[in-house]
Amino acid sequence: MLRNKQEKRNEISIRVLQVTVVTIMLIITGRLIQLQIIEYETYGPLSLANSIRQESVNPARGLIFDRAGRMLVDNQPIYTITVTPANFDPNTIPLLSEYLDLDISVIEVRIQAARRYSWHRPSRLFTDISFQRYSQIQENIWKLPGIGYHVESKRHYPTDINGSHIFGYLSEVTQQEYHRSGRYNMGDKAGRSGIEFIYEEDLRGDLGARYLRVNALGQALGPFEGYQMGHSPIKGADIYTHIDYELQLLAEDLMKGKTGGVVALDPNSGAVLALVSSPGFDVDRLSGRVDMDYWLTLNSDTTNPLFNRAISTMQPPGSTIKPLMGLMGLDFGIIDPETSITCRGGFTLGRFYRCTREHGPQNLVEAIQNSCNTYFFSLMNQTMNRVGLNTWHRHASSFGLGQLTQIDLPHERRGILPDSAYYYTHFGDSRNWGIGDLISVGVGQGTFSSSTVQMAMLSAQLANGGYRIRPHIVDRVVYPDGSAKTFQYDKERIPWINQQHINVVQEGMRKAVSEGSGRFYADISGVEVAGKTGTAQNPHGIDHGWFISYAPYDNPEIAIAVLVENAGFGSISAAPIAGLMMEQYFHGRILRNWVYEYVKTFTPRDSSGNNNEEAE
Amino acid sequence: MACYRQFDWVIVTCWILLFTAGLIAIYSATLGPVSQFLPAYIQNNFLNQVVWIGISIGALISIQFTSPRTFQQISYVLYVICIILAIATVIWGTEAGGAKRWLVVGGLRFQISEMLKLATILAVANYLTSRRDISAEHIGSALVAVILMVIPSIIIILQNDTGTALVLLAIIPVMLFWSGLPYGISLFLISPAIIAYFTVINWKLGILATIILTIAIFFIQKRPWLTSAALIAGILVVIGMQFALNQVLKPHQQARIEAFVNPAMDPQGAGWNVLQAKTAIGSGGIWGKGFLEGTQTQLRFLPEQWTDFIFPVIAEEFGFIGAGFLVLVFAILFLRLLNIAGEHRHPFAQLVIVGVTMTFFTHLVINLGSAMGLFPVIGLPLPFVSYGGSAFLSYSIMLAICLNMDFYKREFSIYS
Repeated sequence: MLRNKQEKRNEISIRVLQVTVVTIMLIITGRLIQLQIIEYETYGPLSLANSIRQESVNPARGLIFDRAGRMLVDNQPIYTITVTPANFDPNTIPLLSEYLDLDISVIEVRIQAARRYSWHRPSRLFTDISFQRYSQIQENIWKLPGIGYHVESKRHYPTDINGSHIFGYLSEVTQQEYHRSGRYNMGDKAGRSGIEFIYEEDLRGDLGARYLRVNALGQALGPFEGYQMGHSPIKGADIYTHIDYELQLLAEDLMKGKTGGVVALDPNSGAVLALVSSPGFDVDRLSGRVDMDYWLTLNSDTTNPLFNRAISTMQPPGSTIKPLMGLMGLDFGIIDPETSITCRGGFTLGRFYRCTREHGPQNLVEAIQNSCNTYFFSLMNQTMNRVGLNTWHRHASSFGLGQLTQIDLPHERRGILPDSAYYYTHFGDSRNWGIGDLISVGVGQGTFSSSTVQMAMLSAQLANGGYRIRPHIVDRVVYPDGSAKTFQYDKERIPWINQQHINVVQEGMRKAVSEGSGRFYADISGVEVAGKTGTAQNPHGIDHGWFISYAPYDNPEIAIAVLVENAGFGSISAAPIAGLMMEQYFHGRILRNWVYEYVKTFTPRDSSGNNNEEAE
Repeated sequence: MACYRQFDWVIVTCWILLFTAGLIAIYSATLGPVSQFLPAYIQNNFLNQVVWIGISIGALISIQFTSPRTFQQISYVLYVICIILAIATVIWGTEAGGAKRWLVVGGLRFQISEMLKLATILAVANYLTSRRDISAEHIGSALVAVILMVIPSIIIILQNDTGTALVLLAIIPVMLFWSGLPYGISLFLISPAIIAYFTVINWKLGILATIILTIAIFFIQKRPWLTSAALIAGILVVIGMQFALNQVLKPHQQARIEAFVNPAMDPQGAGWNVLQAKTAIGSGGIWGKGFLEGTQTQLRFLPEQWTDFIFPVIAEEFGFIGAGFLVLVFAILFLRLLNIAGEHRHPFAQLVIVGVTMTFFTHLVINLGSAMGLFPVIGLPLPFVSYGGSAFLSYSIMLAICLNMDFYKREFSIYS
């Protein structure tokens, strides 16, 4: 009986256990069916996505050439190693430190930064490392989970031209730019100034994509050929500029150590042959790994090297405005070429406006040649009385003063060409304004201000017989498919220009160089140079020197404006620079080495209160 | 050894099929294209396993020449020796993956916890055989058996090997049940595990499981004290689990449980292993990706793919056909073992076979459950399939003892 009971109990126990085993095995099988058959559609693609990674391929940035096809800017490979913090093993830091020859603490700081950026996306750990270190990392990559590497490129400047304010610098795209445009990856660089900025869209090119097989450690194993996916990047467009290499090189050399700007234009097309803003910055040092120290130095430098004095500066043009004043006076019928005004050392209207000396009777050509202030004070007075400020403003505007020249560089400023609205805005509430504020505007002082490129444009337009031009650096953009976009801006006749009038003014400018204040440094042999010096009064210190010029006199090929800040008279500070550039341009070399030596060793001289006739 | 027909060839066939599947998977997981990402010592795993299988075949055959009574005689001695060695491991053991599991003696590494399972089963079986009065009225004997199993569990928990401890604890109700513990009390004993499982998912489910189990226990055995004990114990388990989940567990264990409850929450962190394992299994489909073709396996997406996560390797490369076949072989093995236990007349043999079967079964459920996202990840090898030499030898010895007892069932009389 006991035995039977025992056997029955065993029988039941076996069945209970077997039923339990079968039930759980069925649950497991059910789960297998669920995962492998029902949810196959989910997990199949998931495993594929797991092992395939899309990687975008940066296009090569477009190259920049000078007018003769000489390469001014190209790209250089730099070697970068990356880290994906999720896969990174902190125990490998000493190994990394050994390969990179960097302190462990430096690496730890960078890893921390990468962790803050993203846990799962690769961040740049170190860029611009030497090729030896790069290849060492490459060989030992299997020991370094989470570490990756790739070749990037940085801007490289193969010539001696610095061109900081022509080319501009690049920096990493911001989060917003990255999200706004599909054309960047985090950490890519975009142009921030110069033509790198203006032509960013063309230079940039289009991202490519490739697919890589990766393992769970994020290590790439080679290209994935399962799908016809991926596409090559499209190289950025090449840019051909009008820059004249030798001229630019010389201008940069001459401006070294000085503050100011130089712009040389082709007066017939508006092509920029040279453009310098001094002090400049070293574009090379901003091209690769961001040199933080250098960047901070640039930003805290009181001379503000990042500021483009060729296009953004606002200084009174001084006497360089006199040819235009005369041209407008002729057009208004206030004077004719023979009209003579007698200079007795100044002009009296409410107060005494001083001239540089007593010139005696002056006609227009003589007044330009001698830079007689009295003549132009009087002319300004009559212009204000007979045609008014706003007509004067309209006429002067047609030469581009007080307007953007629309040069292909960023951050251009329009300067101030005053009209009544300007005075009402600035003085309207505080005090009445009147002729007393305007007389000095007639000699390019007072509220009048302009940039170097505006003055180069004025010079070019006087040279070309009164045709409006648009200064531009870039001649054409050539796309990888061979197509090109050419920038040609037709010169437009300024409507009110009378050919006889402009010939008179040109003669005045020629004489200013051949017999006037330009004769010491700007009157070069072999070519007839026309020009006008100027000295902008600077209430804060030494005056600014100006010189505008063009040559050859009868068939102009080049117009140059030079501004040297805090340098005193334009005739001794700015004119020699333009003169040397003219020599370089026409003769291919500097003829007067003593002038070169003079410019290189130039020390500013205070011109205020000095009645030196030849200087003004 | 006169009649080979009485030898259970079904079980032996299952054993051969399982370790063959294991060898194929270990080969793929360590010597396939993935080997380029693995250190050299792991690439030796396949050959090591072959050697250990050879040793185990020898052990399995030699054990057949032993008298079944021997196992009963040595059970207590073996138990004490294993306990001492286990304690020694806690003190002097080598650490591996956060757990002190290895005892290194003269250059050889022993995973004593595997032998401890066998020793415990033998000792408890011997004890329970000597006490045939386990029932609701004589609970004292049951308590001694429980203590015999809890002691090694605690030592193993001290070794940080939660999985093995869970296996030992899981055998307790099964062996007591087999010895005649009333159905209601048996259910009462396993109810905490069920309630705990549901509490991990959601404490409300835990309460629901408590209520259903209490009602079931009441209907099986209408004893008010048992019913109320079941209810109180159930609620205590729910509260205790909630407390343990938040306070007691180590961060990596909490993360594993979090990853189990909500694997999508942190797919790169703790959920990574489960997600990769499920992806491997799911992407295998019906037919699999082919030997050495599994991207999850070969591109190193699976952690510990030669031991704890070996099942996803098979499921990925051989699909539902392969994985289903493996599950089927295990099912045949378990049912067959339970059958020979049922046919045996000696209670010691019955208890040993049932204990061994449930050990393997618990391993399988936890291993597959972890890989398929049915359980939080608990590191336990899949018997006979996973890499691990001394573990394979231990399992083979367990199986060999079962075969031995079955083979000598006529000689191994209850009356002697």
